[in-house]
Formats: sequence, C-alpha cells, structure tokens
Amino acid sequence: MNKQDTAKGSEPMVQIKNLSKWYGDFQVLYNINVQINEGDCVVICGPSGSGKSTLLRCVNGLEDFREGDVIVEGVSVKEVSHNRGIYKLRSKIGMVFQHFELYPHLTALQNITLAPRKVSKVPGQETEKIAMELLERVGIPEQARKHPGEMSGGQQQRVAIARALAMKPDILLFDEPTSALDPEMIRDVLEVMVNLAKEGITMLVVTHEMGFARAVADGIIFMDEGKIVEQGDVESFFKNPASERAKDFVDRVLVHI
Amino acid sequence: MAFDWDVIWRNKYLFLGGLSVTLKLFVLALAGGLPLGIILGLGSLSSRRWLYYPTRAYVNFIRNIPLILVVFWVYFSLPLISGRSLGPFTSAVVAFVIFEATYFCEIIRAGFQSVSKGQIQSAYSTGLTYFQMVRYVLIPIAIRRVIPSLLTQGIVILQDTSLAYVIGLREFVRTAAIVDSREVRPLELYSFVAIVFLVLCLVGSLVVRRLEARDRQRV
Ligand SMILES: Nc1ncnc2c1ncn2[C@@H]1O[C@H](COP(=O)(O)OP(=O)(O)OP(=O)(O)O)[C@@H](O)[C@H]1O
Ligand SMILES: [Mg+2]
Repeated sequence: MNKQDTAKGSEPMVQIKNLSKWYGDFQVLYNINVQINEGDCVVICGPSGSGKSTLLRCVNGLEDFREGDVIVEGVSVKEVSHNRGIYKLRSKIGMVFQHFELYPHLTALQNITLAPRKVSKVPGQETEKIAMELLERVGIPEQARKHPGEMSGGQQQRVAIARALAMKPDILLFDEPTSALDPEMIRDVLEVMVNLAKEGITMLVVTHEMGFARAVADGIIFMDEGKIVEQGDVESFFKNPASERAKDFVDRVLVHI
Repeated sequence: MAFDWDVIWRNKYLFLGGLSVTLKLFVLALAGGLPLGIILGLGSLSSRRWLYYPTRAYVNFIRNIPLILVVFWVYFSLPLISGRSLGPFTSAVVAFVIFEATYFCEIIRAGFQSVSKGQIQSAYSTGLTYFQMVRYVLIPIAIRRVIPSLLTQGIVILQDTSLAYVIGLREFVRTAAIVDSREVRPLELYSFVAIVFLVLCLVGSLVVRRLEARDRQRV
C-alpha cells in the first residue's frame, strides 16, 4: 500500500484506542483498536448487532463511551465531547446513513447548503454553487429543487453523500449506505463511493458489499459481538479467513452476491 | 316577537371593539403560548432530570385544571405577586399563555418524537450545534407534521377567549351582554356572536385542510 508510505512519519488520521462501550449493563464494544491512515478506505463488516454502527458513531462523538479514546487528526474525541470542540470535529467528518436521513422540509440543494451556511457561515450564493457542483459529482444535478419525498432511494442517498461532502470533510463515515436500496440503485451509489475512495478521501465504511470492499478497500475489519475478530488485508480475509466466524460470514455474503 | 337585526348595526362600534379585544387576546395567546409550548416540548424530551421533571410537573398540573380557574387564579394572584393591578386584559393574556402552552407542548412533543433519531444525528454529523439542530431541523420538521393539530388547538383557543368574560374583560361575548342589558335583545345578539365565531372557525378549518393537502406528500 503506497498510500501508507506517503503518510509515513505522520500520525494516522483516525486512531481508535482500547475503546469499550456499554449501553447500561450491556457491553457493546470490547477494547477496540483501529488505525486508519490518511487516504485509506477501511471496510467494517460483521453480523447484525455486532456493534458496527455504534463504533462508527463513536468516531464522531454521536455516542459517548466509557473507556479508551478515539483520536481524529490529533484531537481526542473524549476530550472535546464535553465542549464545543465536538462541533468543529464533526464538521470535518461526514456521515452517510442507511436510511439517508435527509431533511424532508428542504430541497436537495437546501439539504446540502444548510451546514455550510449555518456552521461555516458561507454566503448563500456561494454555498449554492458548491452544492450544485456536488450534485453534479454524484450525478443528479437535475434533482436540485426537489424534496426528498419526490426522489428515489438511490437519488436520496446520493444527495446525502453530497450533504456529507459539503463541509469538505477529511473523513467520511458510511453506515450501510446501500442496504436500504433496491438492487438497481445500489450500483449508482457504489459508483459514487468508489470514485470518492479513488480520489483519496479517508473512508470508514460499514457495508456488506464485498464487491466494493475488494475493489477499493485498503483494509477490512470483521466484527462479532462487540469485538474485532479479524483485521487486515481484504484479499487474505476472503481467501483464508482465520476464524470460524469469519469463514461462515464470508461464505454467506459471497453466496449472496 | 319579530327579530330586530338593526340592534347589531346600531351597536356596531361596540361590537368591533369587542371583536378586536377577542382577536388581540387570541393572537397574543398564540404568540406567547406557541414558543413557550416549544420550550416545554424540548424540556419534555430532555434527558436531564432537572429539566425533565419540572417541565412535566408544570405541564401535567396546568393541563388538569380548568382554564377558568387559571384565569381566576392569575387575575387574583398576579396583583399580589407584582404589587399592582394588571387589569383583565393582561391577566387574560398571561393566563392563556400559561394554559395553552401546555397543550401546545403536548402537540409539539408528538411532533418532536416523529423526527427520526437519524435525522437528528445527520444534523449533528455536519457540525450543527444543539440550538442549530433544534432551530433548523427539529422544529421545522416537527411543526410541519403537527400543523393540523396546532390549528385545531388554535380554533379551541379562539373559542376559549370568551372565558375572559368572568374577570370582566370586554371581549366579544361580554360586549353582547353589555348591549343586551340596554337593548334586551338576547336572541339576536347572541345569535350574531355565535355566527361570527362560527364563520371565524370555519375559515380556520378551511385553512387547516388546505395546509394538510399541501404538506401531505412532503413530510
Ligand atoms: N441505544 C441503544 N441502547 C441499548 N442497546 C443498544 C442501543 N443501540 C444499539 N444497541 C445494541 O447494541 C448492539 C450493537 O448495535 P449496533 O447497532 O451497533 O449493531 P450493528 O452491528 O450496527 O448491527 P446492524 O448490522 O443490524 O446495523 C446491539 O445488540 C443492539 O441491540
Ligand atoms: Mg448498524
């Protein structure tokens, strides 16, 4: 991985260190350790309920955690989570959700411009120009004036990606971005994601699209019951998964596609 | 006995005055009750106990006493607190804001709960602060979803304004009573008052239905 060479000497973009989290008495995450270098695309997979979404939400401080820490571009999430620093940190981390979560009362364009206007205080005209460029980039400029309710799932998800890009983030988090989509729309969204990965934006992607993982991921993490069971190179994960759990999982997803 | 509708025309200025008091009270009750209701609604969803419990205690207390008692209570106790008489109009406005806010709170709370966790998280994920999230995402989505209930409550408030009669406010209904004491034409006078309320409320309902139709596909 020559991307790593360029990052050599500098800190990893994201460091998850000994992270443990509980919901009440129930432990969701057990001592998670992950490093993501600048420009890398890391895929997280694993069975339902294994804690993938929870882990992702810890990275931008949408969830608090009891033990360990997440360091994003040198900033401790734990430290800033109790002050206004968390807002600044989040504005540098875009997030895309399984169910799009667009604002239904705003048009596609307004969904994208809201954060730049209110958080970065960029003037309206300028944000509209940026938003239009982003819509071009995700391939749906003609949807700019539509409301989410008037768009297909695939179109909504692409607006959501444009919205996540609007703050010019250094990192993008994806939480199963294609699993609520009809098959024919999955490709459009994956294509946008592949392009982003190739452009070198740092990505952490929860997905079961193993085609995507094989095409662009620099690393893969397999989680089960709140633990990282395997972590490493994508091809070797598929060829010979070390654990029985991962073997089962790989067999099933591969059959699936 | 023949109807004498001229009695209304003869007293048109009194009626206009009464109607304007009613409408002013209505508008101020809305203008104060809705924002206070939104704040109470936010408090009702707070995970902070010191916010949640007082809010719920207040809302449940006020909602379970009759409006007329709140009107009396404000009218007689406010002078004790503030040290001077505030008059029936100010008392009525305060009472209505205190009371209607609790109903708005319950409506808006339902609206807030209809906003998905993911929509709130996506707002936060772009760097919005709590207040920005509330102002630009939570409130606009929630309010749109409960507009029909809010407008229905608005119509109820319009009718409730006549309760301010009991503390001597010269609103629309009391105007009719005053005119009646001179003219002794209760049937005409009270029918007229009823028709005006009916027309106002029907217009309100019409607006409700229009808005419902417009927003249905959007939210
Ligand atoms: N707010 C919460 N309170 C309590 N338990 C929760 C909460 N959110 C998630 N959990 C539990 O934590 C575990 C991990 O949930 P999480 O959503 O992170 O899993 P996931 O790997 O993303 O699953 P999926 O593939 O179904 O999305 C699950 O057992 C879930 O029931
Ligand atoms: Mg999940």
